[in-house]
Amino acid sequence: MSQEPKGTGEVLALEMRGVSKRFPGTLAVDRVDFRVKKGEVHALMGENGAGKSTLMKVLAGLFNDYTGEIFIEGEKKKLHTPIMAKEAGIGMVYQELSLARRISIYENLLVGRLPKKNALFIDKKAAIARARECLERVGLGNLDPTINIADISQCDAQLVEIAKVLDAQPRILVMDEPTSSLSREEVQRMFDIIRKLKEEGLAIIYISHHMSEIFEIADRVTVMRDGRKVGECDVSEINTEQLVEQMVGEPVKSFYAESGSKISDEVVLKVEDFTRWGFFHHVDFELHKGEILAISGLAGAGRTEIARALIGVDAYDKGRVYLHGKEVKFKNFGEAIKAGVGYLTEDRKVVGLALTQSVADNVMSCVIDKYSKGILYSNGWNNDLVDEKINEMSVYPADRNRRVNSFSGGNQQKVLMAKWLAADVDVLILDEPTRGVDVNAKQIIHNVVKKYVEQGNAVILISSDLPEVVGLCDRAVILREGHIIGEIPKEGITENSLLIAANGKGEYVTCQNK
Amino acid sequence: MSEQVNNNPNPAKVDTRKTEINKGIILFNKLGIWVIVVALVVMGMIIAMVNGGSFFGASNVQSILEAVALQGMVCSGLIYVVYAGNMNDMSIPLTMAMAGMMTVQSINLGFPIALAIGLLSGVCIGLINGFMIGKLKANPIIWTWGFNLLLSGIIRVVWGGKQLYADSVAADTEYAQNAANTFYSISRTYIGGVISLMAIVMLVLFAISWFIHSKTSFGQKLKLVGTSYEAARFSGINCTKVVTMSYVLCSTAAAVGGIFYAALRKTASYENGTGYDFSCLTCVLLGGTLLGGGQGSVVGTLGGVLAYGILNNILSWIGLGTYTKYAVQGVVFLAIVWINTYSERKLGKG
Repeated sequence: MSQEPKGTGEVLALEMRGVSKRFPGTLAVDRVDFRVKKGEVHALMGENGAGKSTLMKVLAGLFNDYTGEIFIEGEKKKLHTPIMAKEAGIGMVYQELSLARRISIYENLLVGRLPKKNALFIDKKAAIARARECLERVGLGNLDPTINIADISQCDAQLVEIAKVLDAQPRILVMDEPTSSLSREEVQRMFDIIRKLKEEGLAIIYISHHMSEIFEIADRVTVMRDGRKVGECDVSEINTEQLVEQMVGEPVKSFYAESGSKISDEVVLKVEDFTRWGFFHHVDFELHKGEILAISGLAGAGRTEIARALIGVDAYDKGRVYLHGKEVKFKNFGEAIKAGVGYLTEDRKVVGLALTQSVADNVMSCVIDKYSKGILYSNGWNNDLVDEKINEMSVYPADRNRRVNSFSGGNQQKVLMAKWLAADVDVLILDEPTRGVDVNAKQIIHNVVKKYVEQGNAVILISSDLPEVVGLCDRAVILREGHIIGEIPKEGITENSLLIAANGKGEYVTCQNK
Repeated sequence: MSEQVNNNPNPAKVDTRKTEINKGIILFNKLGIWVIVVALVVMGMIIAMVNGGSFFGASNVQSILEAVALQGMVCSGLIYVVYAGNMNDMSIPLTMAMAGMMTVQSINLGFPIALAIGLLSGVCIGLINGFMIGKLKANPIIWTWGFNLLLSGIIRVVWGGKQLYADSVAADTEYAQNAANTFYSISRTYIGGVISLMAIVMLVLFAISWFIHSKTSFGQKLKLVGTSYEAARFSGINCTKVVTMSYVLCSTAAAVGGIFYAALRKTASYENGTGYDFSCLTCVLLGGTLLGGGQGSVVGTLGGVLAYGILNNILSWIGLGTYTKYAVQGVVFLAIVWINTYSERKLGKG
């Protein structure tokens, strides 16, 4: 698999030798060798947390304590500050745009080095002419540089961002998910620019989770897993399945205990033709009693949006929702909870918990009305319930009066889960229930989820953690760009099949949108 | 990911973030503004003694309570708006003025009805504020400030910029004149000849406020809304209702204050209540309520009101001029706020 591009005598644009970066407690990048040739689009692949971003941050000069050697065009360089990296010829195009939306294109492009006139005034004409040159390089020659960034399309803004980076004359260009917010046609435009830059001799490092893009644009691919490089080869020598297998590694020995699945035929929740234009379209699925159903897909496929519309937080345009056979339409989340639908949010810190209040306040927050007597309410009445739930979740320390923000992330997540156990709903939507928690907390949360469905409830799981989906779910529906394109039964759920299906390929995809 | 099944259901983890906390700071944080109140009382006693008076004399206690009574009434409601995270109700001055105007204008209907109309005008203003801020998400400061201007304009246009006197508005009947006299008397009644009715009303309002805040489901929801609006929303709490309710409580309390204000001054005018927006906010913040919401207490707010009153009382014992008084007030308030912040930060809550 791994071929060394040596012996050609060719000078590499970038060579990283044995680069490591340690964070307190973790070795994020472990002795990685990474080589990129001139005039090559080199894809860097790996799951979340594999170390790709850290490696690129090393390249961007964000760390001054990495170990290993970095050669740029054969010359050994130290990249200890972003300025050193820039001077060494590294250009970074980040996922989030770094442009100021309310000022013009040329001011954005030439920020910090606008040409001056008479030492005091800005030479606007020269600036605009210079900006035009920059824009021409990315195929935006006919864009007026005096318009504001806010008034041009996302794709154009992305290209302006690239133009801005190119203006510093980099020799290596790093693009982190440059197409994540672009439409299919815009992606093609972006690719044309990338091909042109490639011909100019630039080395391009391309990071994307979209497999199809890698096969279209990249020449060579390096795969990382758990902080190590696990493979490098030409894109023409590999297919999607092999690539995924390299990313995921050997089929992970599941640590999920086999659950005595008790799925009944009873449909708890049924969704028909559920549509919010621009977010998700014609979504149909059924959820059975005792079932854990995954809504699987890439980030941005519309998973969270479906959940938010289901619980009445966002409006939807079309479709019907049946709960226990009765049609329901929730005007707000309070109604949904009363009807028995809960939603554990992916964003624990902002929308999940009131961090500066106590555990008891948070655990009881969904059921204040339920446990109030007339207008009267006191947390003190429900100490037993709170203790029961936090013990069930093994919250440590098990102190109901402690402020939530004094707990570790994993324990905060357990408190959030305890809140939904206390809410006593029978359909629970879990959105990334174990994001950023340690292995033990994850284990506890998974066990509780299993126990919860065994009691005759049902769960919809939205998770980017593929082993979690494999280990927990009884069925998975595949969501891609807002459409459900297929369904995977329990036997078929593997990390590979999920990843391939999420990219719109493989045997489980039954209908292709577009 | 490749970990084996961990059957230990309760993995004990050491709390590595544990740090030593100064006991004095914990105590101060618990007692809050009341430490300052006690300190001010002690100071007042000494200064009064030096000046040959008695700080706890009936007349002095009475004057302290009377001085803060109006402010206290308003604060007992304002705390809800601050606690809900909406910073301040800038329409307090004209809410007070409007309540006074409405009460005086309808004095012919008899005192109880006039009182009810005055209170009702407060409730209406609260509902409008609540609808705009809770439902339509208007910026709370800009909206209430603008609404304050609007109310000011309405009062001036409707009553032609005139001041209203209850005895001249009242018709020449015994019933109406009695109502006007009752109205004037509410700010001049002393229960048992010692404690002003205004002070009693203030304390009753604080008692009600404390009850609503700590013993009802609304109070519990307000706590969550004030701490994190989004978290409350994602717990199924009807935040709009909670915010609206907080404004209704605030404006109603301001209306009570406004009615007593008009009775005390014997006039109702658009100028009544000027300055109450910020002086009341000062008391609420002195009491330890966070401007950002979600933290604070009614008991603390009462402490803030008393500290404000006692400080003023002490300063008049010393006999400072108005300008010097402002300077000293400023220094003391800054010190209190800093000590509050400091103790919060030392406890890792800031």
